[in-house]
Amino acid sequence: MNLLVLAQSLIFGIFVGGLYGLAAVGLSLVFGVMKMLNVAHGELLMLGGYVTFSFFSLYHIDPFLSLLPSAFILFLIGMGLYKGLFSPLAKLHEETKIKNSLLIGFGLSLIFHNLAIRLWTADEKSVSVLYSGWGFSLFGLRFPFIRFSGLILATIVIFALHQFLTKTYFGKAIRATTENWESASLMGINIEKASMISFGLGAALAAMAGTIVSVGYAIHPAMGLEWTLKALIVVVLAGLGNIGGAFVAGVLLGAVESVSTLFVGPYMEVVGLFLFLLVLELRPQGLFGKSMG
Amino acid sequence: MSSQRKILFLSVGIAILLALVPMWTKRNDFINIMILIFLYVCLAQSWNILAGYTGQVSLGHAAFFGLGAITTRFLWAWGYPFFLAFLSGGVVAVVFALIIGHPALRLKGIYFAIGTLGLGQILKITVGNVLPTVAGLPTDYIATYNLIPRYYLFLVLAVIIVAMVYWISRSKLGLGMVAVREDEEAAKASGVNTFRQKMIALSTSTFFAGLAGGAFAFYQVSYYYELPFSPTWTFDALLITFVGGVGTVVGPIVGAFFYAIFKELFARTFPELHVFIFGLLFIFVVLLLPGGLVEMVSRIRRLVMAKKAVTGFC
Amino acid sequence: MLEIEKISVSYGDLQILWDISFKVEEKEIVGLIGPNGAGKTTTLRTITGLLRPFAGGIQFEGVPMEKVPIHKRVELGISLIPEGRGLFPGMSTLENLELGAYTAKGRTCKDKTLEQVYELFPILKNRKKQAAGTMSGGEQQMLAIGRGLMSKPKLLLVDEPSWGLSPLLSKVIYEVIGQINHSGVTVLLIEQNVRIALELANRAYVVENGRIVKQGDSRNMLDDQHIREAYLGTESA
Repeated sequence: MNLLVLAQSLIFGIFVGGLYGLAAVGLSLVFGVMKMLNVAHGELLMLGGYVTFSFFSLYHIDPFLSLLPSAFILFLIGMGLYKGLFSPLAKLHEETKIKNSLLIGFGLSLIFHNLAIRLWTADEKSVSVLYSGWGFSLFGLRFPFIRFSGLILATIVIFALHQFLTKTYFGKAIRATTENWESASLMGINIEKASMISFGLGAALAAMAGTIVSVGYAIHPAMGLEWTLKALIVVVLAGLGNIGGAFVAGVLLGAVESVSTLFVGPYMEVVGLFLFLLVLELRPQGLFGKSMG
Repeated sequence: MSSQRKILFLSVGIAILLALVPMWTKRNDFINIMILIFLYVCLAQSWNILAGYTGQVSLGHAAFFGLGAITTRFLWAWGYPFFLAFLSGGVVAVVFALIIGHPALRLKGIYFAIGTLGLGQILKITVGNVLPTVAGLPTDYIATYNLIPRYYLFLVLAVIIVAMVYWISRSKLGLGMVAVREDEEAAKASGVNTFRQKMIALSTSTFFAGLAGGAFAFYQVSYYYELPFSPTWTFDALLITFVGGVGTVVGPIVGAFFYAIFKELFARTFPELHVFIFGLLFIFVVLLLPGGLVEMVSRIRRLVMAKKAVTGFC
Repeated sequence: MLEIEKISVSYGDLQILWDISFKVEEKEIVGLIGPNGAGKTTTLRTITGLLRPFAGGIQFEGVPMEKVPIHKRVELGISLIPEGRGLFPGMSTLENLELGAYTAKGRTCKDKTLEQVYELFPILKNRKKQAAGTMSGGEQQMLAIGRGLMSKPKLLLVDEPSWGLSPLLSKVIYEVIGQINHSGVTVLLIEQNVRIALELANRAYVVENGRIVKQGDSRNMLDDQHIREAYLGTESA
């Protein structure tokens, strides 16, 4: 086993892992606030990618420029979805609420999948820019610009999110809601509003990841399930509600998957899924989480 | 005549009618669409047992459908008697369910759902890698292929599964399952062995899913080995069951009927539109009409009867 | 100030409160006493809006609360210190207090209120950065009360303030509640320890099986036969 090959593999894994982490953080945030797992998260990521693709193919806007507008559009869509579909569930009994939100997310994923096929065909698409192939080399290892900047972007965004959650009043209100929503409402926090904004934020974060995927990798209407699963795996590995840990776990998953490709080839996805099932069974609080009594 | 007997007579009547269909028409497209309906009925009803009656929403149904398909396909292609191959499909599916049953059923609600989703994916990827090719058949099988036996196989299987679900819905077993669905803690407290209920439901559900898969392998001449493991089958089962009426006997039948019809209807113009339509209906059902089409029909009936009762006084 | 009129509350299929009516006047301390499971906590939760009655109404300062959501009631001046404290365990003492001041009213006076809370509970100042979940029971209770004050409430609802605390600490907490009331805050309080409750409160209502079975001035209740037997008997040793 060539050390260089291993290292290169690791690098690529970390790059894509950053995107896993970005996607997972969005999912984790939504779960923390609403205690629901949005299984359509991957489809929101896909839509973000397609919005960027559309900006590019229709108006020739550079994907890095359309990053924020695309995220904003998904932010609005996310809030709308919450208000229309998930908010009515809020009054239900805990178990029914979780089950129904799973089902709604499921229905949404199919609808979005179909919509994407209708709007953009089932073919794989990719944003091809001038600098698509550029990169730099360090110690004989290749660092493609776009994928590398994906990692940088993810890090910046997560950092910004962290600042938002720890330094702003509303951010603290969101954290409080994840810890104890009843008490949060007793503080005068509007839980509806907090949930709506969190859902929108989750969608925006997914969209940003989707944008990078559209230019650094490729997008197609069926990718939603793939990415939802990745995000789910990461969220479970990190421990549900552990927002910060989700990023680290994402990078880890990317690295593990990439390196295992060298050993088990096309079964590398299975490795991640096995880990996922293992953690679900044995340590539901995740690898980094605290045991919840 | 009691309503139970009425139902029995009606069902037998319908079954006989269906059995006679191949006598009246030789049109392959008609037979094929009937087969598709039966297939969906089997797929959805088997899922309904676990999710509708016991409340465990599994997102890994395709795994069992796939196991049945691959087992039957191989055994049959290697020359074993078809019925042996067919039943083995169901058996392999159940055995797998028994193996994963204990750890899987420990997971609650959403964890069970995503866990089964992950499991299904593992199987799909593995099969796709080990057998990336099209499932072939010996040429003489293809030469002697006859649609009619397939029709009867699916018909009989569908009838058996529906009868099974009907029996469950009226039995003590079914009561236990529903108790688990409604409130697992309360059921445990009143002495119901919830794990046993769930295990029975899982076994029955997967056995029939496996048989459905086996029937599919018998029917579909060529397909990629990994196709029956595709999560699409699971999604089909969910859409059909919920829109039709989850936890009812008739729901999945009604859902399957419309799903198959829509699929064929839009196949040339807007493929997959049936998924989109059912997706929208699905969300509508979850939010506003949990009993699905079946509930909608019964509500309309009640409305009509209420109106009748009032006008009857004049 | 607070008028509860014939409210009935169910939790799922189980009815907990049956036709409850009572009032709390400004600047009073009113106690809700009674056995476990009688519905006292349910009553407080209904006042805050966490639960909705299916019959009857609640009026606060003349305003009917039917359509008022939980967070708005806090802005109107109702603050609950829940059973079990309901702190945000992963957040620091200071963050918990800051969140108590989330409402507009709370935020404008935040710094001043914070000082007042530190005066009441000096130990909280030392624990500013400490995660709330790692503090002792007594400190958590103090934090819960301090946090409840940050919204500058007009009506403070307190659910079992001495739960899990030593007699010494309980005494301290009760003194503080008295002080809070003195500074103009109306208090409605649930307390297991009937003697303490009646010594602190002006009036009290006895809740049994979801109904109000007795009410009156605390002094009279201390002398009451039924109460002595049911609630004070085991303590006379």
